[in-house]
Amino acid sequence: MDNKLMHPPIMPIAAKPSQYGIDPALVKKRVAEMPGMVSVRLQELFPDLPEVIYPGPEGALDRLYELAKEELRKVDMSMIKPDQSVNVLASHHGFTLLGGQPYAILLKAIRDIVIEKTGCKNVRLRAGVGMRFRETEEYIKRYGLDEYYEGKAKGVAPIDEGIPIETEIGTLYGIKAIYDADWIIHAHHTDVREVHFHRQIDKAVKPFSMSYARIESRSTYHQNLGPRAANFTARAIFESKFVQSKFAFGAFLSVGPHGVIGVDADNDLYAINDRATFIGCQLYGKVMTLFGKIDECIAVLDFPCPVPYVFSAGVIYANFVGANADLYDMEGTPLPPYTWYTEAFYNKQGKPFLKQTPPLNPAIKMCVHNYAWTGYPSAFFSEHIPTVVVGAEQAKMFDTEPMNLKYMDHAVIAKTTEQAMEFAYNVTGTDKVIIFDGAMGGLNCSESLAKLLIEKAPAVSELVEKELMPKWFRQRGVDMSVLERLKG
Amino acid sequence: MKRVTLKAVVDKDLCVGCRICEKVCPVYAISVVDRKATVQDDKKCRGCANCADRCPRYAIKMVERDDPFDVGVDVSKVDYSKIRALCEKAHVNPEQVLCYCVGVRAEEAAAALLMGATTPEEVSSMTGMRTGCTIECIQPLLRLVEAAGNELHPNPNGWQWYGVTTTAWDFPQEVKEKYNSRGFYFDEDRELLDRIVKQGAEKEGD
Ligand code: SF4
Ligand code: SF4
Repeated sequence: MDNKLMHPPIMPIAAKPSQYGIDPALVKKRVAEMPGMVSVRLQELFPDLPEVIYPGPEGALDRLYELAKEELRKVDMSMIKPDQSVNVLASHHGFTLLGGQPYAILLKAIRDIVIEKTGCKNVRLRAGVGMRFRETEEYIKRYGLDEYYEGKAKGVAPIDEGIPIETEIGTLYGIKAIYDADWIIHAHHTDVREVHFHRQIDKAVKPFSMSYARIESRSTYHQNLGPRAANFTARAIFESKFVQSKFAFGAFLSVGPHGVIGVDADNDLYAINDRATFIGCQLYGKVMTLFGKIDECIAVLDFPCPVPYVFSAGVIYANFVGANADLYDMEGTPLPPYTWYTEAFYNKQGKPFLKQTPPLNPAIKMCVHNYAWTGYPSAFFSEHIPTVVVGAEQAKMFDTEPMNLKYMDHAVIAKTTEQAMEFAYNVTGTDKVIIFDGAMGGLNCSESLAKLLIEKAPAVSELVEKELMPKWFRQRGVDMSVLERLKG
Repeated sequence: MKRVTLKAVVDKDLCVGCRICEKVCPVYAISVVDRKATVQDDKKCRGCANCADRCPRYAIKMVERDDPFDVGVDVSKVDYSKIRALCEKAHVNPEQVLCYCVGVRAEEAAAALLMGATTPEEVSSMTGMRTGCTIECIQPLLRLVEAAGNELHPNPNGWQWYGVTTTAWDFPQEVKEKYNSRGFYFDEDRELLDRIVKQGAEKEGD
C-alpha cells in the first residue's frame, strides 16, 4: 500500500437473516477480507464533500436523533389536531442505507416530535416496499419500530387493497393503507439509488408512484410513458387534490455517497426536492462519473440486498452497469444501458431493437456474486455479464424464486469465494476489483483499482462542477443560482 | 413460457379464512372454501408467491413441486401478421419483453389472446406472464386484452387489478406543456416508443 490515500479495507455491512437471502452462516468469506484489497475514502478522493454526522465516533447515532428532532421542531405541524390520525410513510430503501439505523432513527424522531408538537397520539408507521412484499415487515421488527410505534406499524405492498386517485393525467391508484389517516408525513432520504429509472427528476417525490402506489401506477411508470417521462407518474399523484389534502410535510435523511449529512424537513416537498437534486447531481454525480472512468474490472456483489441494489460508495450495481453512459444526461442518454425500458427492447436474438442502445458497461469483465438477495428480476444482468455465483445454496435459491427463474441459466457456480475470485482473475486477466459491499464512508477495491480512482478523481471533480452540472441542471429547468443559495 | 417449479401449500390450522390470498392471486388458483383457503387444483397455481407473501397468518408456504411443468403458448400456431396487428394496436413490439420476471414477450401474450383468452388472468395462466413480481407488466397486459376486443371488468371482490391508466399516446397536451421544462421528455419518449413498436415490421413483410 504505497499511496497515502489507500487504507485497509472497511468492514462490509454484515450478512442479514431474510427470507430473500441465504442463511448468513453460509456467507463464509467476504471479498474485502481477501489478499490485495484496500479501501479509499470518499472524502479523500473528493475533498469538497460535506462533513458527515454518520458514520462517526461513538454517539453519532444519538447525535443524529437529536439533530432530527431539532429540524422537525422547525416544521409547521399546526394542521395536525390532537384527535386526528397521522401516517408516517416510509420505504424499504431507507433501511438499506448505512446499516439501516439512521433511517430508523429518523422514523422514531418523527413520531416523537409529532406527539410533542401536536398532542396527536394516533401516529402510525406505514412502510412500503419494492417487489419484496415482506421486506419492510422484516425491518420493522429488526429496528424495533413495532414497539416504538406501539403496535401501529405495518408493511404495505403494491398488491394490497387500492384506492383510485384522480390526477391531471387521469385515474391512478394508491395503496389504501397509505392514505387511511387524516395526515401523511413523507419520510424519505436523498440517496439517489435508481438513477437509471428516475434520472434525478423529482426524485424526492418518487415514492408516491412506487412504494406508496398500487401496481397500476407502478406499471404506468415502467411501461406506459417512456424512460424520461416515467417519473411524471409520481408528480401526478403527489399533486392530486386527494394527496395534497393529506400531505403535512416531508422529513428526509440527507445522505451523500459517504454518509449522513443532515436531516431536511419541510412543508414544501419541492424545496426538499431541489436540495435533493443538488446532492444527487453534485455528490453522487461525481462518484458515478468516476466509476464511468474504470476501464476494466471484476465487480463483486457482497451485500444483503437484491442484485441490482448492492452498494459501493453510494452507487448501486444497477447504475454501475450503466456507468458507461451519463445517466444524468437527459439528451445524450435517452435510453440508459440498463433500465426496464431498455431490457424490454432486446429482441429474441438478444440484440437491442435500436442500434444506438448502449451495451451494459463493457468495463465489467465478470461479476462475482458472493452474496446478494433474490426478490428482483435479475436475469438480464447474468445474461449480459459473465457471472459466477458462490455456493450451490445461493444458486438454488435463485433458481426457485419467481422473479429469477432464469438467472442461473446464464451463471456458473463456484463452491467458495476464493475459487470464484481465482476463476475471475484467470478468465478476465484483470486484477482490478470493485466490491459492492456497502462499506461506509468509502469503498473497498483492489489496490490496482484504487490507484486508478485516486488518479482520476481530481479531473472528474472538475468536469462535474464546470461542465456536467450546469448541463444537468439546465435540462431539469433548475437555475444554477439555486446551487449558490443552497451552498450559502 | 414459464417453468412452474413452485406451488402454494396452505396450513389449514393457521388459516383464519380472511380471503386476502384469494384477492391477490393473479390466476384465481386459491379460494376460501368452508372458511379455509384451498388450492383446489394445484396445477392451476403458477407459483408467484403473492398469497404466501400477503397472508397475515403466514399460513401459506411455497414448496418445490415434484412435478414441475411448463406453461406457454406456441406463437408459431398463430398467424404472425395478426399478432403484429394486435401488438401495434396496443403500442408494443411483438418481440418486446413485457414481463421481466418470467421473460414473456408481447407476441406470446398476443397469441394467447388470439387463441381464445379473454381476460388478464387467462393470459397469465396460459403464458406465465405476471406470475413473477405480478406488478410491472399489468398495464401492457390490460392494454393487450382490451386491444383484442375484450371489455375489462375488474373483480369487485378482489384486488387483482383496477384498470388501465394513461399512456404516452393519450397523455394530455396541456400537461405536457405545463411540465416540459422540468426535465420530462414526453414527446421525445413517445417518439422513441413508436420507433420500438415498428422495429422488425418491414422484415416480416418481405
Ligand atoms: S390469506 Fe392466509 S389466513 Fe387469509 S384466507 Fe388466505 S391462507 Fe387463510
Ligand atoms: S398463483 Fe400465486 S397467488 Fe395464486 S395460489 Fe399460486 S402462488 Fe398463490
